[in-house]
Amino acid sequence: MAATAAAAAAAEGVVIACHTEEAWNLQLQKGNESNKLIVVDFTASWCGPCRFISPILVDLAKKLPNVTFLKVDVDELKSVAMDWAIEAMPTFMFLKEGKIVDKVVGAKKEELQEKIAKHMTN
Amino acid sequence: MGLRRLDFSELKQVLDAVQCSVVSAIGNAHFDAYVLSESSLFVYPKKMIIKTCGTTQLLKSVPCLLSHADDLGLAVTRCRYTRGSFIFPKAQPFPHTSFREEVMYLEDILPAHLCFRKACIMPPTCCTSSSSSSSSSSSSKPPGHSHSWHVYSASHAPEESEESSSSSSLFTVEICMTELDRGLARGFFRRRGDGRSGDAVGSEMTAATGIGRIDKDAIVCDYAFDPCGYSMNTVHGARYSTIHVTPEEGYSYASFECVGSLHNRKDLEQSLQRVVSIFRPATISVAVSTDVDGDAADRVAARVAAALKPMGPWTGNGARVEDFPAGGTVTFQTFTHRRK
Repeated sequence: MAATAAAAAAAEGVVIACHTEEAWNLQLQKGNESNKLIVVDFTASWCGPCRFISPILVDLAKKLPNVTFLKVDVDELKSVAMDWAIEAMPTFMFLKEGKIVDKVVGAKKEELQEKIAKHMTN
Repeated sequence: MGLRRLDFSELKQVLDAVQCSVVSAIGNAHFDAYVLSESSLFVYPKKMIIKTCGTTQLLKSVPCLLSHADDLGLAVTRCRYTRGSFIFPKAQPFPHTSFREEVMYLEDILPAHLCFRKACIMPPTCCTSSSSSSSSSSSSKPPGHSHSWHVYSASHAPEESEESSSSSSLFTVEICMTELDRGLARGFFRRRGDGRSGDAVGSEMTAATGIGRIDKDAIVCDYAFDPCGYSMNTVHGARYSTIHVTPEEGYSYASFECVGSLHNRKDLEQSLQRVVSIFRPATISVAVSTDVDGDAADRVAARVAAALKPMGPWTGNGARVEDFPAGGTVTFQTFTHRRK
C-alpha cells in the first residue's frame, strides 16, 4: 500500500524511472487513459549526453505537472529498448493516447522544450 | 567505460579550459559525441577527440584532461595535435601564437613515457603564393593564404585501434575548405527572427544542403547558430564524422572530418565528393592519417586526387607524405580551383 501511495505521489512533478517491465506497462497504461502527453527518456548509465540532459528533464518535470515524464534505462529494460528501436541515447519518445506523436534523438534541450510545448497544447 | 565515466562537471572543466560549451549531444554503444559552440568533442572509453574553430584555446584542455584520466586510472599512450593555417594568426591567444609555441606547450605537459615524438609542418602542394622559390626563406612570414598542415604526434608504442581487427585499414580524413560557393553558403544562414530552436533549424539545414546524404545510415546531431553558422556530428557504430561551417563572405570556411575504412570507396572517395559538392570551395586541403606505410600512403593520396578530379579543374596534384614514429602516416594535399 505504502509503495502504491508513494508511486501515486511521485507521478506529478518528477521523472518516473521504470525499473521493471511491469512498472513500464503500468505507467504506459495510466498515461494512455489520462490523455496526458507522455515523454519517455531512453537513457543509459554510461552515456555522457544522458547525464548532461538529465537535470534539464528534472526541471521540466517540476515545471510541467501536466506532462508525464518516464525514464527507461536501456540496459535494465533491454527488450523495451529493442521494441522501440532505440539506437542512440538519449532518445525521447512523445506519446499521446497510446500513439507515438514525435521524437527527439539526442540531448537537444531547445528542441525538447519546443516539442513539449507543441504537443502539450495540441 | 573509461573516459565515458567522466561526470558532466568534469567534462565541463575540460571544455571551460577551451572556452567551449555543449549545445547538443548524442551517444551510442561505442562513444559520445558533443556539438560545442562551433566545435566538437568525441569521448570513447579510451580516446578523446576535441576539434575547435576560431580563437579557442584548444591545447589548454590537455592538462585538465590528463589529470581526469589519471583519476580514472588511465595513462595516456598517444597524443596527436593537428591543425591547418590560422586564417587570423594574430588573433590567436597563447599557446596558439605559433606552432613552435604550441609544440613547446605540449612537450612540457606530456609525460616522458610518450617517447616517440615528432612535430612537422607540411607545406601546401598547390602554390597560390607565387614566391615559393628557394629565396632565403624568411621563416617568420606566413605563406599568404595558402594552407599548411601542422602535425604534432607523441606516442608510447604502436597504436591500438578501437576496431583492432582492421586497424591498419582505418583512416581519418580532415578536410578544410575556404571560399565556399556563395549561393551554397547562403544555406547556412538563418531567417532573421525565426524564433525557432537551433536544433530544429540545424536539422532542416542538414536535409536541405545534402549533408544528411553523405552517410545516410549515420545518426546526425546538428545545430544552426544565430544568425549563421552550422555544426554537426554523426555517430555510426564506432565511427564519427563532423562538419562545421562559417558561411560569411570574405572568410567563408567549412571543415569535414570522418573515420572510415581504406577498403571502402564509399568511406573515402564518395564522402569526399559529396562534401565538396555541398560547398564547392575555391580551396581544399585534405589530410589523411593512416597506419599504413609510405607506398600505401601514396596510393591514398592518388585516390584523393582522382576523386576530386571530375569536380575540378584544380591546380595541385602532388602530395606530401610524412611518417610519424609509432604514429602512422599523414598525407597532405591542397587543391585550388581555377575559376574562370
